Amino acid sequence: MLTNYIKIAWKVLLRHPFYTFITLFGISLTLTVLMVLTSFIDHLIGVHYPETKRNRSLYMMQLGIIDSTKNSRNQSSLSYKFLKQFVLPLQTPEKIAIVSDRMTTNSYVGSKRLRLGLKFTDAAFWEITDFAFVAGKPYRQPNVTNGDNVAVISESFRDDYFGKEAAVVGKSIEVDNTRYRVLGVVKSVPDTQLFTSADVYLPYTVPKSNYLTDSYLGMFQVIMLARDSQNMAAIEQEYKEVISRIPVPFVDNGFKAYHLETDAKTYFDTFANTQAGGPDIATFLTLVVLFALMFMLLPALNLVNLNVGRSMERASEIGIRKAFGAPITTLLGQFIIENLFITLLGGLLALGLSWIIITLINQSGWIAHLDMTINLTVLIVSTLLTLIFGVLSGIIPAWRMAKLSIADALKS
Amino acid sequence: MISLKKIEKVYRTSTIETLALTNINLHIGAGEFVSIMGPSGCGKSTLLNLMGLLDAPSAGQVEIGGQTVTQYRDKDLAQLRNQKIGFIFQSFHLINDLSVLDNVEIPLLYRAASSRKDDTVGPTRRQMAQEALEKVGLSNRVKHFPGQLSGGQKQRVAIARAIVGRPSIILADEPTGNLDSGMGNEIMAILQQLNADGATIIMVTHDETMAKKTQRLVRLFDGSMVGDSTLMYDV
Amino acid sequence: MIRHLFTLIWNKKRSQALLLVEILASFLVLFAVMSLLVFKVGNYLSPIGYQYQNRWAVTLDWGSLPDSLADPIRQRLKQRALAYPEVQAASFSSGNTPFANATSNGEHHWNGKVINSFHFWTDDDFARTMDIPVLEGRWFNRSDAAVTIEPIVITQTLRQQVFGSENVIGRILVADDDPKSKSRIIGVVGNYKRAGEYEENSPGTFYRYQRDRWQNTLVLRVRPGTDARFEARLIKDFGNIAKEWSFAVNYMADQREAKQNQEVIQIATFLILITFLLINVALGLFGVLNVSIARRRGEIGLRRALGATEGSISWQFVGEMWVLATFALVLGLLLAGQFPLLNVFDLDAGVYLVAMGVSVVVIYLLVTLCAVFPSRQAAMVQPAVALHEE
Repeated sequence: MLTNYIKIAWKVLLRHPFYTFITLFGISLTLTVLMVLTSFIDHLIGVHYPETKRNRSLYMMQLGIIDSTKNSRNQSSLSYKFLKQFVLPLQTPEKIAIVSDRMTTNSYVGSKRLRLGLKFTDAAFWEITDFAFVAGKPYRQPNVTNGDNVAVISESFRDDYFGKEAAVVGKSIEVDNTRYRVLGVVKSVPDTQLFTSADVYLPYTVPKSNYLTDSYLGMFQVIMLARDSQNMAAIEQEYKEVISRIPVPFVDNGFKAYHLETDAKTYFDTFANTQAGGPDIATFLTLVVLFALMFMLLPALNLVNLNVGRSMERASEIGIRKAFGAPITTLLGQFIIENLFITLLGGLLALGLSWIIITLINQSGWIAHLDMTINLTVLIVSTLLTLIFGVLSGIIPAWRMAKLSIADALKS
Repeated sequence: MISLKKIEKVYRTSTIETLALTNINLHIGAGEFVSIMGPSGCGKSTLLNLMGLLDAPSAGQVEIGGQTVTQYRDKDLAQLRNQKIGFIFQSFHLINDLSVLDNVEIPLLYRAASSRKDDTVGPTRRQMAQEALEKVGLSNRVKHFPGQLSGGQKQRVAIARAIVGRPSIILADEPTGNLDSGMGNEIMAILQQLNADGATIIMVTHDETMAKKTQRLVRLFDGSMVGDSTLMYDV
Repeated sequence: MIRHLFTLIWNKKRSQALLLVEILASFLVLFAVMSLLVFKVGNYLSPIGYQYQNRWAVTLDWGSLPDSLADPIRQRLKQRALAYPEVQAASFSSGNTPFANATSNGEHHWNGKVINSFHFWTDDDFARTMDIPVLEGRWFNRSDAAVTIEPIVITQTLRQQVFGSENVIGRILVADDDPKSKSRIIGVVGNYKRAGEYEENSPGTFYRYQRDRWQNTLVLRVRPGTDARFEARLIKDFGNIAKEWSFAVNYMADQREAKQNQEVIQIATFLILITFLLINVALGLFGVLNVSIARRRGEIGLRRALGATEGSISWQFVGEMWVLATFALVLGLLLAGQFPLLNVFDLDAGVYLVAMGVSVVVIYLLVTLCAVFPSRQAAMVQPAVALHEE
C-alpha cells in the first residue's frame, strides 16, 4: 500500500513539472533556512571543539551580589579570591578549571597591528578541554605556580604574527608590552565559544593579569568536569551548600550585599541565560520553536493553497477510490503520506543546499573560525522539522480532497 | 441576417487534418427560427460557433447584418457578439458563484462605453436583468444561486442572460438536451415567444420533435449541408 | 465591473479564504520587515554628529590600583600623548565612546517629563577631539571645576523632548523625583549617535569628567596617515609611565566598520528571508491562478461568448487578484494599524505608516506580477473549444 501511494505521488510529481518545481522550491528553501538555523544553534550550544566533554561539564559564568531590597545588583564574572575560597576546594568534581573573560588587546609586528583576544587560564583548563595542538604543548602546573611568562597561541594568530606555518615553539611574542615564550600552538576556536575562544592563552598568574583583587566580582569563569551525569547533580548540590554558608551581609567594594546569586549550570543553561537574556531555557527553546513555526507558516500556507487548487486534478481518482469503499481516513492517510513523500524529497534537497550555505558561511569570515556542521543532532532536528512541515502543509488539502463527494468527484 | 458563403473549416493537429465543414452556403433572414440537425460529429456545433463568431472559418465568408466579419479583430468581434448575439448552451454555463441576477447581468458588463451611462439614462443594469428574468418567468428567483435551481430553471436563467442585451440573433446549442421533455417544451415555448417578438433564432438539436417546432430545418451530414427545408406547420 | 468582481470574490469567500490568509500573512511579515528597514534607513539619513576618522580610543586598565592614585598617572599619559606631533587632540571619556559596546543610560525627571537619556562623562577637550559642533552655549572648560551645581551639555534631541524650542542655556534643573539633584545646562550639541549611523538619534547628556574607574578611555585625534608604528611607540611609552597597566587601542573607523557590518548582515538577512518568502508566495499564487484558470475555462469561454474581449478577460483575472488583495490588505492594515495606535516598540508612527504604504504597494505589485501571465493564458482560451469541453 505504501509503495503504491509513493508511486502515485511520484506520478503526480512528474505530471506537472512546473508545479513540482514550485512545490520543491518552497519546501527546500524553507527547510534550508531552518536547517542552517538549527546548525547555527547547535554550533552555539552543542558539543563542539574544543569542549568535547561539554555533556558532563558544569559552567559558572557570573556572580551577582544583591542588596537587601533586591533593587540593586552588581553582576560580573567571578574573582580569583572568590574562586579560591569557595569553588576550587569543591570535593565532588573530577576537575575544576578557571579561565578569564576574553580581554582584547593589541600586539605590534613592524607597522602591522594585531588585535587579539586574551584569556588567562590555569593548567587544568588544558585537561578539561580537548584542544588540538598543532605544535608544542600546553603550560603545566609548575608554569602556573611560578607565574612564568609563557603562552599558548592559536594557529591563526601564529600565521598573523610570525607568518604562515612558521615553527614558533620557543620563540617569543610581545603582547601588551610584555614578552611571552610560546609553548604551543592550537587549532583556532570560533569566536562563538564563550569559554574557550582566544588568540593567546596565558597562565592566570602572569603579572599582567592582575588576578589578586579584593572583590568577589572579577574576571574569571569556571568549567567543572563531572565524573558522570549523576555526579553533576552532586556538584550542583555541594556548590549550593558552600554558597549558603557564606555569611551575609558582607561589604564588597563599598556595596552591602545580602544575597549571592551563583550557580553551576550546564552549558545550555549558561548560554540561554547570558545570551538570550531570558529567565530560563524553556523560554529560549519556546522562542526558537515559535520562530521556526512562524517561518514555516507562510510557505506551508502557500503549499496548501496550491494543493487545494490542484485537488480537482485528482477528483476522478478520489471518486473511484471512494466508490470502491475507501473510507475518509484511508484517503486522508494516503494524501498525507504523499505530501510527506514530497516534503522529504524537498528535505533532501534542503540538506544539500544547507551544506553549501553552511560551507559558504564558514568561509565568509563573518565569525572568525566558524565551524558549523551538519551532525547527527542537526540531522535529527531537520528531519523532525521536515515532518512537521509535511503534516502542516498536507493536512488541509488532504482533508478537502478526502471529503469530496463521490458524485462531484466522478462528474468532472 | 446571417450569411455563410463557401465556408470551410479544417482542424489541424500535428498529425491529422479533420475536415469539419465543407462548402457551406447558408442565408438566414431576420426573424427566422431555424433548427440545425444531424448526427453527432457532423459539424453542427462548429457551424454554430462560426455563426456566433466564437471561431473563424478556414475559408469562406461570414456576414452578420450585412457586415463581413472575416477580417474583424478580437475587439470588434467581441462587440458584435455582445450586441447582436445571445447564446444558450446545453450545459447552461452559469457561474455558480454568482446569483441569478448577477449571472444575467454579465453581458451588460461588457458594454464598455455605455455601461456607466446605463446607470443614469434609461433602465439600469439591474432593471434590465430583472426585466429579462420576468420574461422567462423567474423574477421570484433573482437572489438564488444556480446550485439551488432545477435544470429547467437554470436554462431559463441562461435564456434571460441571452436576451438581456436585446440581441437580434439567438444561438442555441441543444438548449433542451439536458432537460426532460416537459421542461424542454417550456424552453421551446419561451424561444418561440422570443421569435414571435422578433428575434432570429438558430438552434442546434437532435430532437426531431423540437426541430419540428421551428420554421426551417437545415440538415448536416459529415460536414456538408444535405437538406434545407421550410416547415409548413407554423405556430 | 469592479463591483461585479467584488461580488464574485465575496461569494467565493470560503474557497478563497486560505488564499486571503496567505496574502494577509505575507503583508504582515512584509510590514514587520519594512518597519525595521524604514526605521534603519530613517536613522541612517540623520547625521552621526561627530568625526570618527583618525580617532583612536585607548582603553586603560589599572587593575587593583586605587583610582585616587591612578588619576595623576592618567593625566601624565594624556600629556605624553599630546607631546607627539601625531596627536592633535586628546580627551578622557567614559568607556561608552562611539561604537564601543559599553552603554550607560538613565532617566531624567525634568520639567514634568520622564526622558530616557544616554549619559557620557567626558573632559573639557572632548568636543574638540571628536569635532562635535556646539550649537548653543559652550562646552565644558576649567571654569566648571569650582561650581557647586553640576554643569551639563545636552543634545538637541533631549532639549527638544524636554523643552521644545525654549531657551535652555543657563537653566538650572531640579530633578522632579529628587530635589537634591540639580544641574545646569551650559550647552547644546546636535546629534550624537554613539552606536553609528543606524542607531536612533536618542537623547544624550554629557557630564564633566570625574576621577573614577568609569572614565577609563583616552580618545585621541591623530594626524591622518598615522599608523601602527606610532601606535606601538605610544603604547611602549605608556607602558613605561604606567608599568603594570594594560592598554588596548581601538580605531573608531574600524569599530564603526564592525558595527556597520553587523547592521548590514542583520538587514541583509532579513531582506534575503523576506525575498525568499515573497518569491515563494509569488510562485505559489502563480500556480494557484494557473490551476484556477484551467478549472474555469468554461466560464472564460462563456464570458467571451457574451462579448468579453481578450483584454477584458485578462483584466478580470488581474482584477480578481486585486480585489482579493484588497480584502486581505484591509484586514492587514487593521492589524498593522494597532502598532502606531498602541505605540508598540516606541517607534515613530511615521515609520509604521511608511512601512504600511510600502508593504501595500509591494503586495499589489506582487499579485499583479503573479496574475499577469496566467491572465494572458486565460485570454488565449478558445471559447469555441472551452464551451464544449464539459
